[in-house]
This record gives sequence, C-alpha cells and structure tokens, in this order.
Amino acid sequence: MTPIKLNRRELMVGAGAAVLTARSAFAQGEPPKPKQIVVNASGGSMNTALRKAYFDAFEKETGIRVVETSPVDLGKLKAMVGSGNVEWNLTEIGGQDGALVQRLGLVEKIDPKLVDRSAYPKEARGEYIFASSVYSTVLAYRTDVFAPGKQPKGWAEFWDVKRFPGPRSMRNHPVDNLEYALLADGVPADKLYPIDMDRAFKKLDEIKPHVNVWWTTGQQPAQLLLDKEVVLATGWNGRFFDLMKKGAPIAVDWTQGSLKQGTFVIPKGAKDPYWANKMLAYMSDAKRQSIYANELGYPGLNLESIKYIDPQAAPHMPTHPENLSKQFWLNVAWWDGNLEKSMERWKQWLLKK
Amino acid sequence: MAAQEVRDADLRVDGVAKRYGAVVALGGVSLSVAAGEFLTILGPSGSGKTTLLKVVAGFEFPDAGRVTVGGADITDVSPAKRNIGMVFQNYALFPHMSVARNIAFPLQMRGVPKSEIDRRVIQAMALVELQGYGERLPSQLSGGQQQRVALARAVVFDPTLLLLDEPFGALDRKLRESMQLEVRRLQRRLGLTTVFITHDQEEALVLSDRIAVMDGGAIRQIGAPDEIYDRPADDFVAQFIGESNLLVGEIAAPDRVVLDGGTSVTVRGLDGGHGRVRLLVRPEKMAIDSATNRFTGTIVEAVYLGEAHKLRVKVAEGVELLVRGHRAVPTGARVTVGFAPEDAHVIRGAG
Amino acid sequence: MTPADRVRRRAVGSAIVLSVPAVLLLLALFAVPLLRLLALSVEGGSLVAYQRALTNELYLRVIFETFKIAAVVTLLTLALGYPVAYVMATSGRVWQLVGIAFVLLPFWTSILVRTYAWMVMLGRNGVVNRTLIGWGVIDSPLPLLNNLAGVLIGMVHVLLPYMILPVFNAVKKVDPNLVLAAEGLGAPRWRAFLRVTLPLTMNGVAAGVTLVFTLSLGFFITPALLGGGRVVMIANLIEEQVRELLNWAFAGALSAILLALTLAAFWGISRIARTRSA
Repeated sequence: MTPIKLNRRELMVGAGAAVLTARSAFAQGEPPKPKQIVVNASGGSMNTALRKAYFDAFEKETGIRVVETSPVDLGKLKAMVGSGNVEWNLTEIGGQDGALVQRLGLVEKIDPKLVDRSAYPKEARGEYIFASSVYSTVLAYRTDVFAPGKQPKGWAEFWDVKRFPGPRSMRNHPVDNLEYALLADGVPADKLYPIDMDRAFKKLDEIKPHVNVWWTTGQQPAQLLLDKEVVLATGWNGRFFDLMKKGAPIAVDWTQGSLKQGTFVIPKGAKDPYWANKMLAYMSDAKRQSIYANELGYPGLNLESIKYIDPQAAPHMPTHPENLSKQFWLNVAWWDGNLEKSMERWKQWLLKK
Repeated sequence: MAAQEVRDADLRVDGVAKRYGAVVALGGVSLSVAAGEFLTILGPSGSGKTTLLKVVAGFEFPDAGRVTVGGADITDVSPAKRNIGMVFQNYALFPHMSVARNIAFPLQMRGVPKSEIDRRVIQAMALVELQGYGERLPSQLSGGQQQRVALARAVVFDPTLLLLDEPFGALDRKLRESMQLEVRRLQRRLGLTTVFITHDQEEALVLSDRIAVMDGGAIRQIGAPDEIYDRPADDFVAQFIGESNLLVGEIAAPDRVVLDGGTSVTVRGLDGGHGRVRLLVRPEKMAIDSATNRFTGTIVEAVYLGEAHKLRVKVAEGVELLVRGHRAVPTGARVTVGFAPEDAHVIRGAG
Repeated sequence: MTPADRVRRRAVGSAIVLSVPAVLLLLALFAVPLLRLLALSVEGGSLVAYQRALTNELYLRVIFETFKIAAVVTLLTLALGYPVAYVMATSGRVWQLVGIAFVLLPFWTSILVRTYAWMVMLGRNGVVNRTLIGWGVIDSPLPLLNNLAGVLIGMVHVLLPYMILPVFNAVKKVDPNLVLAAEGLGAPRWRAFLRVTLPLTMNGVAAGVTLVFTLSLGFFITPALLGGGRVVMIANLIEEQVRELLNWAFAGALSAILLALTLAAFWGISRIARTRSA
C-alpha cells in the first residue's frame, strides 16, 4: 500500500464520517487521538520485531504511543471483556483460538474500510480475525546427526526410529500431533479431518517411548536441539530460523509441516477501535510485513509481501512456494469443537504407563 | 537415692588455661575441692568463674591443664559421661516436658529401668518438697519451684559432683534466702561435693565451706569465709568482700605504721618487716571514741540499716572512713573514730 | 473482674481494632475472589463441573499425583532444610547473615529464570552430568531432567527457603543451655537433639511443612518445564482450563476441590504437630 493510496482512503473515510456526523468538529473525520494504545503479543523477539516492523512507524506517523504487553493470555482476555475493563486495544491470540473467541463474543469486527486485505488470500480475510502472519509447526534436526538430505522427511520417517535413531521432542499438546500421527499412519493430508482419535493415539503409542521431552514453551524445542538433548524436534519454524541465522547446526524439513495463522483481534468493548483498526492497516502492509518476516521467519498474508523478503531468508518462509506445497493447513474449525475433549484424552494418554 | 552415703569424690583442677582469641579467660587455674565440700567461686563478671565451671562440666575444653574427679582424669571426657549434676542460672528446664519427665531425663539417659525411674523421681520430688507436681509443665511453676525441679534433676542420678551456676539470681530476696538454706541443707544431707558460682559475696559467705575469689582469670585467694573476710590476701579481695577501710603507709617501728597523711598508728602483726603496707580495717571494727589510733572528722553521711548505723566520716581532704556501729550520730557532727591495734589486717606490698 | 483481667480484656479489644485493616484486606483480596471462584464452579446452579472432576479418572489421578509430589517435596525440603537451618542458627552472627543472604538470594530471581537455569544444569549434556562424567563418577548421563527427578529438584530448590526460615527461627529460639543441660545430664549429642532440640523446633517444622506442602500443591511452571510432559499437577490442568479452554466453571470446580483438600491437609498437619510437640 503506497502512502498516496493510504491518504486517499483516509480522505474517503473522512468524508463518509463527516456526512454521518455533520456537526462533528473533526475536519479529517478522525476520532480524537488517544495518548497511547496497548498491543498485547507473545513478547520477546516477537515484540521486538513487531516494534521494528509496525509500531515505530505507527508512532511516528500518528503520534500515538504504542505500549507493548505480553504474554498472550486467552483467560485474561475473557476476564477483561467480562469485567468491561479492557486494557488492550489489540491482542494476539493462538492460531487455533479464532473460532473460540468469536463464539464466546470476545472480539470486535474488523473494519474493512480501514483495513485493506484485498491482497490477502480469500480464506484469510476473517470478519473478526486479523491474520498477521503464517507460521508452521515443522520438523527440525541436528545437521551433525543427519546430514542434510538424509534427514527424515515427513512423519512416517519421523516415526521410523530404526532408520532415524535418537531422542525426539514433540509438543505437549494434541494439536498437530494427532495430525502427524495420522499422516505417519498413511492417512492422506486431505483426509485428515475429522480426526480419527483412536487411530491417532494408537499411532502415538509407537513414538511415545522415543520422545524425550514433551515441550510446553516455544523456546524449548530449539534449546533442546541446541543442547543436543534431542536430535529431532517439532517446533515453530521461526524459533529454528533464529538459531539457523546464528549458525547453529540445525535445519528444518518442511515436509508435512502444519501451517497456521498468527492472529490478532480487537477485544470486545476495547477503547479507540478506530486506532486499533489503523494499527491493523499498518500490519497488513506488504513492505512492513516483509520486515517482520525477515526478522522472525513468519511471513505475512499480504501476498505482495513476498516481493520484499530478503532472498536469503525467503527459503526459510513457510509460504515460500517450495515449502508451501509440502505442507498442510491445520483445520481450526475442527479443533474448535474438539479441543477440550482431545486435550483431556491427550493428558490421559500421556500419563498412561 | 542413698542420702546418708557420703561421697568420696573430690575435684582437682590443675593449671587449667583457656583463651578465646587474644582474651585470656583462665590463666592456669589450680584448685581442689574435698569430697563433700561446698566450695564457692566468687568473682565479678568476666573474672573467668563461668569458664572454669564450663571446663569442669565439660562444655568447654581447656587449652592446658587437667580436671580430675575422685582421682579419675575427666579432661577429655564428654559432658554426657562425666556424671556431674548442674543447675543452670535460668534452670534450663525442658519446657516441653513435665516436672516428672524433666527429673526422669538423666535416669532415662542412663538406661535405668522404668520402675526404678518412677521410684527415684518420686523420691527426688519429695526431697525438694514438690510432691504432686509431677504432671505440671515448668511454665506452670513459680521461680522457686522451678529451681527445686532443677535441683532434683541435678541430683537424682547420684552425680559425683554438683555444679550450681548462680542459681539464685532470678529469685527475690526472701525466696533467695530460704532457697540458699535449703540447697545447703540438701547438699549436706547428700554429702555432695559442690561447686557454686556467684558474684554475690553475701551469698558466698553464708553458704560456703570455702571460697575461691577469682579475678582476671586467676584465683586471688582461697580459704574459709572468715579467713577471706578478716585476712584478705590483697586489695581486690578486701574490696570485693564486704566494705573496708584501706589505710596506706610505711612501717616505722615493729608495731608502728606512719600513714601517708602523717598520722602514726599502732598495729600488730608487722612481724618486724619494713616498707610500705596497707592496713585493712573493717567498718564494724571502727569505733567512735576509740581508745587507740584515733582520727577526728565530720560525719558526711549517716545511714540507718536497722541492726546498725553506717557512718561516713571525713577525716582529711579526700580521706573518708566507714564506721559501722550501734550509735546514731547526725550528719555534720564532729566525732573521733579509731580502731584497736589487733583489728587492723596488714597487707604487704605496694598494691 | 480483677485488674489483670481488665488489662487483658483491654489488650484483646485493641488487638481486634488493630486487626481490622488486615481483615478487610484479606476479605477484599482473598475471601471475595474465593467466593467468586466458588460461584463460577456452580454456574447455572449445576454441579456438573464437580461431577466431571470427581468421576473422570484423569482428574482424580492427577490430584493424587499432585499430593504425592507435594508430600515428597515436603519431605525432601525438610531433610535438606532442617540441617541447613540448624547449622545457620547455631553458628556465629557473621555466618548466620551469610547463610540468610544465600537462602534469600533466589527470592529475587523469577521462578521462570530459575527453572530455565535448572534445564541448563540438569540436561543430558548439562553441567551436572558433564561434571560427573568428567570426574569419572558415572559413565552415561543420569536422567535428571524431563522426568519426576527434574521436577522434584526444581521444586525443592524453589521451596527450600520456606522450610529453612521458619526452622531457623525455631532453632534460634531454643535456649542453648537446654542442649548443654541435656548433655550434662547424660545425653549424647544426638539424643540431646532428638529429645530437646527437635521437639522444641516442631512448631517451626510444622510451619515449614505447611508452607512447603501447600505451595507445592499449586505448582505448574516447574512441572511443565522440568517434567518433560511426564509430570502433570492439578495446577497445570486448572491453568489449561482457565487460559486455553476458557472453561471457568470447570476450572473453578477443580480449584475448589484443590482448596478443600489443601485445607484438609493443613488441618491434618497442624493436628500432628500439636500432638508431637505436646
């Protein structure tokens, strides 16, 4: 989005608003500027990248300070909305939670007049959900244990502990793992849903003794590989990208990676929704998304942004054409209806001797 | 317990020394206590008396010297194996145990059979007149009762030696006096060799067979109470025990001393020596209108003590004499005081 | 009424007045949220949440495991903390201050940082295993992390101060003459300790045990990170319900059950302590 376009749209919106509130004193039709807006996100390097890609520019151009908070906390979101004391103007949520927050009425609609997502794939233009980036849960391996090219490709090979021996780490969560188990068991990617839980858990039984660590935080699998506690791990591609940039003997195999969207929402009843939408407009800009992607390995959904991505970083993006074709999209709708049940079963399965 | 049996254990301390860093607590102390004797170690705080007691009890190990009880060297024996009864200053009763269990404790530690423990505990409680108090906790007892428990606990196992560390300090005066007598009676009855620590000279005089006066980690004098009182070995002992008048002068003749103020006095016991001496005259040996060794002065203070009057008489600039007698004389009166030649105790040396 | 009674009554009266702010604070910060939590768990007047928690094998099992882990952690902190507290309390002033500083130091570090530090220490290629292998004590790495052992180590480390401080306080209050008296009366050191010092410090032990046990019941970061997924405590499940599944009614029910069991344990500990110190 070029600055000229942006200005024209602002003018158009301004004109519309002026008609509706004829006596309004705001010549540009903008609601008054708050001193600051609060954006809640995962924290750490993600907040640093958000600042670099979006917040700094937003502050400079609007004069509104952006306060970052963390971590992502669905419970807190629910509490805020429930109590009517919403501190966040904008918050990140887990990729699979979009349907849940929508169902519980915890979020505001995104204003299509303010946020232009015409360059987004159709399925990524949620009415309530803003897709900020794409990430994938992928397989990473130690290159000093498996020479590149000799690494396991896909989950059937990950399950093959004879050909690919060594301790593994997987996420302590049913999301992704049930899909991986079915894929390992030969279910085609387009026949994964609805998930056959019995079959998935049965397949998971096979890999369980070889999983050294069931990880909880995104930092864990990267660290475990780095410390050689495990030789194979599933994890979020950006975490591995970060280590690879620093020269760690780690590489990613994209085969059957599980794609999801990183998402932001405007909490229900949040103050200054106009400015939250404005921020989303910044976050949908192709060039700015590429800054974020170069930093973290999480490309945006503005399809134009691929043009601006550093050619060296491009092969590490889950949306790189070569990678994209190998992976599958996690079915968020299926999980919304089955999360609690499968998590209960997951815990039971984990504790089973 | 066999109350009539007189124990045969004497205590000997030979050249015991103890220092804490640069501070000398005991500088080679020797003393012996006869079997059945009641010896008091008297001294101000910091004199080393408590350290000496701890060495005897085994809570401190000396840097040098030996401790023997009944001929057996116990210097390197742990406190638990010394078989010494001790009453602490604050009694050190076990607050979570009843009176009976407190008293039973040393017997249990010695593996005495249960039935005998019960019998001896009852006996010990009777000895200190605490029948019926067995189930009480120490916190439910008065100070005097607590002390009796401590005493019963210290003697119930027939110790070879009884140590008393200022046990009367926390009691009020009346109770203290009756407890003192009770302890003395009990000690005599049991024939226990006893070492008693105090800084209270009156207590020492009342209770002891002998008194050892300590100061600066050394024993200054050891002897019977009257000996210590009447013939102190040095200034320190003289001033620490009772009140005293010290007159400084030079021997001038076999029975005459010229005091530094110029007055000449007649005394006995100079034994033909010469040089500087100090004459100790106890206030009660000073008399108004004495026939000999007279000084004239003004009463600057008169205190009525009930059984006597105590007077301070200023006889020269900076020289005051203490007089204790039965005559009441008002402050400001001019009097003549003096002492008999045989009532002055001669302390030799420059002091 | 004797004058002493009057004085005592007045003292009680002013104690009540003085405690008003604290009581109000407790009500506002503790009682009210607790009641709201209980209200949440019976949302719509239904006990479904409780029924689910008490009939599903998963939750019963995790609650049982939680209490088991809490008990083991408490025993370990007692076994490690008591000697430390004892040595600290019976040594000189300087060493006492040094000891307290070392005990309190971890308090100023976040539990997350400390947990990550243990991950570095205890891993297969961690500091502990490398050192032990370097010294030739062991041939292959010990499994210290991503299992129950790792969770116990991490929890004991976090909770040790809660045991050491009350016990230290209790040992300091024991008159050293009592121990000397016991020794003088014929007790070897260890018997003097067992018969005198230990019973007199039971209050401190009870305080430490209560603190450590109840705090243990609520742990979730340490088990999640050091347990490698194999250790699940009830707080992990509650946290998941609150933050991920947004099922607050069920989270409330689990919390209420945990609270009830904690109070029961608390009551049990204080009973045992009372009979032991009597």
